[in-house]
Amino acid sequence: MSLQKNNVLSTVTKKYSIFMILFVLFVICSFANPNFLTANNLTNISRQLAVTTILAFGQTMLIISGMLDLSQGSVLALSGVFAVSTYKATGSLILSMLVGIITGVVCNFINAIMVSSLKTPPFIATLAMLTMARGVALLFTKGQNILQLGDFIVFGQGSLGVIPIPIIFLIVIAILTWYILRHTRFGRSLYAVGGNEEASVASGINVSRVKYKAFIINGIFVGIAGVLFMSRVNAGLPNGAVGFEMTALTAAIIGGTSFSGGIGSAAGTLAGAFIVGFLDNIMNLTNVDSYMQQIVRGAIIALAVIYDIQSKNRRTKSALGRIEDKENKSEKA
Amino acid sequence: MKKRRLGFISMLLAAALLAACGTTGKDNNDTANNTSAAGSTSAGEKQYKVAYIARAQSDSFAAWLANAVKEESTKYPNIKLDVFDGEANDEKENSMIENAITNKYDLVIIQPNNGEAQRPYVEKVVKAGIFAITTNARISDIEGASSVDANPYEQAAVNARAAINQIPQNANVVVLDGPSGNFHADERRKSWQAEFFDKRKDVKIVGEQIANWNKDEAMKYMEDWVQANDKIDAVISMNDNMAAGAIEVVKDNPKYKDLLVYGVDGTAEACLLIQEGKMTSTCMQSAYDLATKLLDTSNKLLTGAEKQIDTDIGNPLVTKDNVQEFIEMHKKSGAIK
Repeated sequence: MSLQKNNVLSTVTKKYSIFMILFVLFVICSFANPNFLTANNLTNISRQLAVTTILAFGQTMLIISGMLDLSQGSVLALSGVFAVSTYKATGSLILSMLVGIITGVVCNFINAIMVSSLKTPPFIATLAMLTMARGVALLFTKGQNILQLGDFIVFGQGSLGVIPIPIIFLIVIAILTWYILRHTRFGRSLYAVGGNEEASVASGINVSRVKYKAFIINGIFVGIAGVLFMSRVNAGLPNGAVGFEMTALTAAIIGGTSFSGGIGSAAGTLAGAFIVGFLDNIMNLTNVDSYMQQIVRGAIIALAVIYDIQSKNRRTKSALGRIEDKENKSEKA
Repeated sequence: MKKRRLGFISMLLAAALLAACGTTGKDNNDTANNTSAAGSTSAGEKQYKVAYIARAQSDSFAAWLANAVKEESTKYPNIKLDVFDGEANDEKENSMIENAITNKYDLVIIQPNNGEAQRPYVEKVVKAGIFAITTNARISDIEGASSVDANPYEQAAVNARAAINQIPQNANVVVLDGPSGNFHADERRKSWQAEFFDKRKDVKIVGEQIANWNKDEAMKYMEDWVQANDKIDAVISMNDNMAAGAIEVVKDNPKYKDLLVYGVDGTAEACLLIQEGKMTSTCMQSAYDLATKLLDTSNKLLTGAEKQIDTDIGNPLVTKDNVQEFIEMHKKSGAIK
């Protein structure tokens, strides 16, 4: 009975460890600086996190299915400058958002062709897109920032009641990601493909279609993030969002998404993003040196990856143990 | 079927590549639009090949400078200019310098990504008997190489000297730095220290971070500083992009209506902010002035009028009083519509 209790406790601890870490960090931050726990500061953190967390949800789906996207930052910049230019040319907020999303989707459709149809490793395919998309953004703007955005800033700086619009987008995308992963056939296929692609093919899953869909959803998220980013900074920055894909990957990995595929959740990624956000925020509030901040961020990524590898090893060992037990039992029989 | 699809995609890629090459060729022709034939002008004058190796076209100032250099080169029929992008990568930029030597350019203008990393390659250019000019930022003390630059110490100093009388007693200030190790970032910060902080011991720095010249990074820091401090009297930024980021955070907050903000570069955005009264001052680092001097220096070197030239552009302080003339300049360039 007590053994059973311990097992349940251990399962719960494992499953919810990321949320416990987030909670502990939240409590520590609250004591570390009195300004941390103010409504304004917490809103700020959410607003700061909105863009990279939206990217992290796209990254989560891709990583779960055994892929990743290194071009998110560049595609975001391209989507953003196209959206800004559309707004400046037409004055239509809806059209500019649509253009941003379509740009993200087109770039990711190309990623999907490269990965799924041409069998290019995702790392290489999206690395190529990283360079191409940035090149197009720079060529289009001649490397210059686009200024005087007018009402376009409503996406990144406006509020609906008391809730900032980027946070509304973040909440909607978080729910959408959770729903796709937990309650749709496509979501289950993502886990299956990432867990074992050959077995998925054998069980009748159209792997290619799953990969295309994952990239296209990622494209929609990146397009939205591009519009929110440019709107937030009140400029079309062709050289903006450099390295955002790394922040998104960090949030996903810290949130428990396994780099080897097949494991991950929307809630975990959200928690991972907030852990990074809380840490960045408290380090700024307490005026920690820039170099020290980099060390802390690096250490967190290293710890998350080590944890991921260790748990994978533990899972493999326990699976091997079960197989051995079965074999021993059948030998005895 | 699969093979056919692959073949089709390969053909598409090849066509795109050829089209891109065609466009580049067209650009080069546009740049040297006074050329009648390679090697000589319509007047029979000798035509010189000049390579301009930019630090990174993704850097908005570098892109502005590259565009200005291209535009200025059209005034010199005896110069055929080719522009290359170093992509903020030392290795790439150094390879481009070596290629320029191999391709026997008559003069190479280098905007270093990291001065010391390019130094031996600039020395190679000089050794090969090719004229070399370093710009923004210069690599100094290379015998035989010329330089055209702005003085980053002075760029910050003109702001700092004005700030001495503008920033109130016992003020709280925040500082936004450029990337560590960057010549302009380091010199500008040194200048603020010597020209302002050492003289105003009453002023307290309540936040200082490296925002890597980026507007969005600066915004994030400013949002946190606003939460952490009851009062911020001034933002001291090593460039305009970061200053604009800080202003974006507090622009609608009446508590910060008297906030003083200093930058460097004189970007279109900074000029507009100064005009609106949201930014205090910046130092104009005019890409047009640099381009004018670069082409003039190139011409003098190539025609044998001079052997080595080291020159700087001016460091005018842009304030609300004189911002209109710089806004007109940006309107001319199309940066402000």
